[in-house]
Amino acid sequence: MQRIATTVRLNRSVLQFDDAAHARLEQYLAESAALLEGDPDPQEILADLEQAVADQCTRRMRPGQTVVTLAELQPALEEIGALQAPGAETASAHTVREPAVRSLQQISEGAVISGVCAGLARYLNLNATLLRVVAVLLLLGTGGAMVLVYLSLMVLMPYAPLQPGGEPIRWLPAKTRAFMEYIRVKLGVDRPRNVTA
Amino acid sequence: MAAEPKLAPIRKGLLEFLVLKIVGAKSVYVPDILRELAGTEFATQEGTLYPLLSKLRREDLVQYEWKESDAGPPRKYYRLTDTGRAQLDALNEYWTLINRTIANFGH
Repeated sequence: MQRIATTVRLNRSVLQFDDAAHARLEQYLAESAALLEGDPDPQEILADLEQAVADQCTRRMRPGQTVVTLAELQPALEEIGALQAPGAETASAHTVREPAVRSLQQISEGAVISGVCAGLARYLNLNATLLRVVAVLLLLGTGGAMVLVYLSLMVLMPYAPLQPGGEPIRWLPAKTRAFMEYIRVKLGVDRPRNVTA
Repeated sequence: MAAEPKLAPIRKGLLEFLVLKIVGAKSVYVPDILRELAGTEFATQEGTLYPLLSKLRREDLVQYEWKESDAGPPRKYYRLTDTGRAQLDALNEYWTLINRTIANFGH
């Protein structure tokens, strides 16, 4: 029986395929081309793929073998695998977002006084209770200077957005809170509310 | 594993980052990349890598040059462009950041 071989140019390599292997190769390349529908640069990928097929088949051929059969082609295609489109080409490369910085804010939920310690704890990645104990010790140690520090922070640190179901600090009248927010905006340490960033 | 369907997209999303890392370490051709990924969770195939590299080249993150090989046709060697280097640095930084964020939750 005489095998009829077809000579195929695969990118930079030239190989001979028997009929069955040639048919399978054509099928694989046609499927790959179809998968690249819509890709901006299908020629380059197909050329790379052709070279991969040629290299993989050559590697599998016995010394002296001249014609590629399915015995080489099939495992070669399995190793190469079907074309997978990379994630949709998004504009993310051009619009890399600034990573969210953990900001220094007062946290009203679970606040003991105004949420300054809770906010500082989150900012410094410390335990809030520990920080409160330290604050009280400093208050006793510094004889009142700590009160000024706390009050300043209470005025200057912006309020963190309330969590769903969270309540603003109850002992502080809404008008006072609004006034402090106004001062912060004036001082440039907070952004006006109801403005979508 | 029941979680597997949720893990696959994570791997898929990170493959690009990983390829940038590999190409950033030294000039490589595709079989080098496959070898480095083989045996990890990110083991992949040429069919996946070529379209990805083509996309990265269009985005001007990698570029390649032809190099003669001892056996067979010349090979494409990929390396990072300056833009690619900057993006890799940004990805590394972001990766560290989100890892820390994730570690901070659920205690």
